[in-house]
Amino acid sequence: MENEKVLEVRGLSKQYKKGVYASEKVTFDVHKGEIFALIGPNGAGKTTTIRMISTLLQATEGDAVISGHSILTEPENVRRCITYLPDEAGAYKNMKGIDYLKFMAELYADNKQQAEEYVKTGREICELGDRLNDKIASYSRGMQRKLLLARAIMSKPDLAILDEPTSGLDIINALEIRRMIRSLARDGMSFLLSSHNMLEIEYVSDRVGIIAQGHLLETGTPRELISKYRADNLEDVFELVVMRKELKEGKA
Amino acid sequence: MKFRTLFFKELREMLSAQTILVMVISVFVLAFAGKAMSKAVEDNAETMMDLTICDRDDTEFTRNMLKFLRSNLAQLDGEVTVIDVTTDDYAAELKKADAKSVIIIPEGFTESVQNSEPATVKFVQRLSSLATFSNLNTGSQVAVEYLSAAVKDVVFSAKVAGGKLTNTEVSFLNDPIHLEESTVVADKSEDISASIVMSLCSAQNMVVPIMMFVLVMMSSNMILNAVSTEKIDKTLETLLSAPISRLSVIAAKMLSAAVVAAMQAAVYMIGARSMMNGVLDNVSGDTGYSEAMKNLGLTMDAGQYVMVGIQMFLSILIALSISLVLGVLARDSKSAQTLTLPIMMFTMIPYMLSMFVDIRTMSPMVKYFVYAIPFSHAFMASENAMFGNTALYIGGLIYQTIFLAVCMFIALRIFMSDRIFTMTLGGKKKVNL
Repeated sequence: MENEKVLEVRGLSKQYKKGVYASEKVTFDVHKGEIFALIGPNGAGKTTTIRMISTLLQATEGDAVISGHSILTEPENVRRCITYLPDEAGAYKNMKGIDYLKFMAELYADNKQQAEEYVKTGREICELGDRLNDKIASYSRGMQRKLLLARAIMSKPDLAILDEPTSGLDIINALEIRRMIRSLARDGMSFLLSSHNMLEIEYVSDRVGIIAQGHLLETGTPRELISKYRADNLEDVFELVVMRKELKEGKA
Repeated sequence: MKFRTLFFKELREMLSAQTILVMVISVFVLAFAGKAMSKAVEDNAETMMDLTICDRDDTEFTRNMLKFLRSNLAQLDGEVTVIDVTTDDYAAELKKADAKSVIIIPEGFTESVQNSEPATVKFVQRLSSLATFSNLNTGSQVAVEYLSAAVKDVVFSAKVAGGKLTNTEVSFLNDPIHLEESTVVADKSEDISASIVMSLCSAQNMVVPIMMFVLVMMSSNMILNAVSTEKIDKTLETLLSAPISRLSVIAAKMLSAAVVAAMQAAVYMIGARSMMNGVLDNVSGDTGYSEAMKNLGLTMDAGQYVMVGIQMFLSILIALSISLVLGVLARDSKSAQTLTLPIMMFTMIPYMLSMFVDIRTMSPMVKYFVYAIPFSHAFMASENAMFGNTALYIGGLIYQTIFLAVCMFIALRIFMSDRIFTMTLGGKKKVNL
C-alpha cells in the first residue's frame, strides 16, 4: 500500500428532503493499492455515498476527488478512473458473456487494441471458459456475478467500487474473488467496497469505515478497531459503535 | 376444489389492477370518441334531407317537380335550395354556392320524361374528408330516390288521372332517372361516383392509420422496455458510471429505436403500397377509376408519401421521448406495461376519430383537444396531403416539432439528474440508501 491518495472524500452529503440526509459530511481517503470497506446496516448511507463517488448521484454538499478529478466539476474524467459494480447488478441477458465483456471493454478503452486486452483480462478473471459463448440469460447467479466482477476489474481502474462484491457467490467462488481483490490491490489497484459481511470485510480490507444513519462513525484497520473497542471481531466492533451512537442520541 | 383454487389464482394474476385500469380507460376513450363523433353525425344528419338543385331545364314540369320535392322534404325537415351552375367547373361552382353537393337537371330533361325515356340527371358531390361519417348527407342514392319520386308524382298527376298511361310509360316509371355522377376534391373534379371514390380511398388509406398505431405502440414499447429493463436489472447504473456522457446513452437509445421504427415504417409502407396497388388494380381494372382517382389527387405521389412519412417519423420520435421518461418511472415489468397506457390512449383517440369523422368539423373544444394530441397530425397527414390542407399540415408539423423539443428537454433533464434513479410511478421517490 502506498501513500498516494486515489480517493479523497470531503464532507460529502446527500439530502433528499429538507433535513433528511441519506449521507452527511462523510470524509475519508483511499490510498493507492488500498482496500477500503464501508460497512453499515441497511439504509445507513453506504450506497448513496458510493453512488455519489461514482458520479451517479449529485452531492448536496462536499466533494470527492478521484485521481485528481472532482466528481462535481469533472464527472466524465472521474468515470475514466473508476469502475462501479452495483449490488445485485444485472447484465444484458440477451447478450453472450463474451459480447458483454467486449461491449463494456469498448466503453472503457481508448482504442481497439486496449479493448482486446481488457477482454483478454476479463476472460481470465471470470474463468467462465466456453460458457462465455452462451447467453447471459442461461448463467447462474454466481456465474453472472463473476462476469460482472471481471467487467469491473478488467480495465484495471484506479479505483474499483464494488457494492457487495461476493453476494450470490458460493464459498469457493467468494474466496477466489477475495483473493483476486487482494492480489490486484498488491499490484496497485485501489478498492472501495461495501458489504454487510463483516467476516469478509475483516479478511479482505486494509481499512474500514463504519457508517450508520448517514454518518461515518469510525475508520481504521480492522485490527485497530478490534483493539480500540476490545472486541473479538469486527462484527462486535460494529455493534458497539452503532450502539454507542444510539445511546448518545438517546434511542437505546 | 383443486381446479377452483388454481382457476382463482390464475384469474387473480391475470385480472391485475393494470388490466382493470386498461379496461376502464378503454371505456372512457371509446365513450369520448363516441361523444365526439355523435356531434359530427348530428351536424350531418341535420342537413341530410337538404337538396341543392340547379334547374337548367326550367320548365313547368321541373318547377312542379321542385314544388313536390319542397313539400315532401319539408315534412322531413329538409330544404330545397335552387342555385345556378353556369359552368362545368364544378369545384368552383360548389365553392361559390357553399354547397356540398348539387343535382343538375339538364336541358331536355322534361322532353325525355315526356318521351318516356330515362331522364339524365347530374349529381356532383364535393368530398372534403374521407372519414366515414363526414359525407352522410349527400349520397347520390338519396338524390335519385327523391327525384324519381318527384318525377313519378308529376307524371302520375298529369297522366294517370287521364287514364293515358301506356306500357312504355309504366316501364319508364320503374326507373325514370339516369344518373351521371361527378366528384369534386379540392379544386379538381372527375366523372366518378363519390361512393366509389370513398370505397377506393378507404381501401387505399386504411393501412396508414393501422400502421401508424402499430408503429407508435411498438416503438414506445421498445424504448420503454429498453429503459425500464436497464433500471430494473440495474444495468443502467453500470452504464451511466462508464466513461460516456448521458446524452450519448439517450441518443443511442433514441436513435436505435428510431432506426428500427423507420425500417418498420418503410417496410410497412412498401408492403401497404403494393397491397393497395394490387387491390386497386383488381377493383378498378379497365373502368378508369385509377385514372380518375389520380386526377382527383387521391392517389399519393412520392412527395405526399414523404409528407406523411415525416409526420409519422415525428410522431414516433415523440412517442420515443415520452416513453423514455415513462421508462424511468418503471419499478418492475408490470408497472412498465402500465406505463404504455397514456401513449395507447392518446394514440387511440385520433386513430378512431380520424376513421369516422372529419376532425376539422368537430366542435372547437374537441377539435383543439385532438389537435393538441401530437399523434393526431400523423393520422390526418395523408388526408391533409391529398386534400391540399397545407396550413393544417404545416401547423401540425410545427406543433409536433415543438412538442418533440419539449419532450426531449424533459427527458434530458431527467437523465442528467438524480431523478433517473429516484423517480418511480406515482412520483414518489424510491431511494436506496
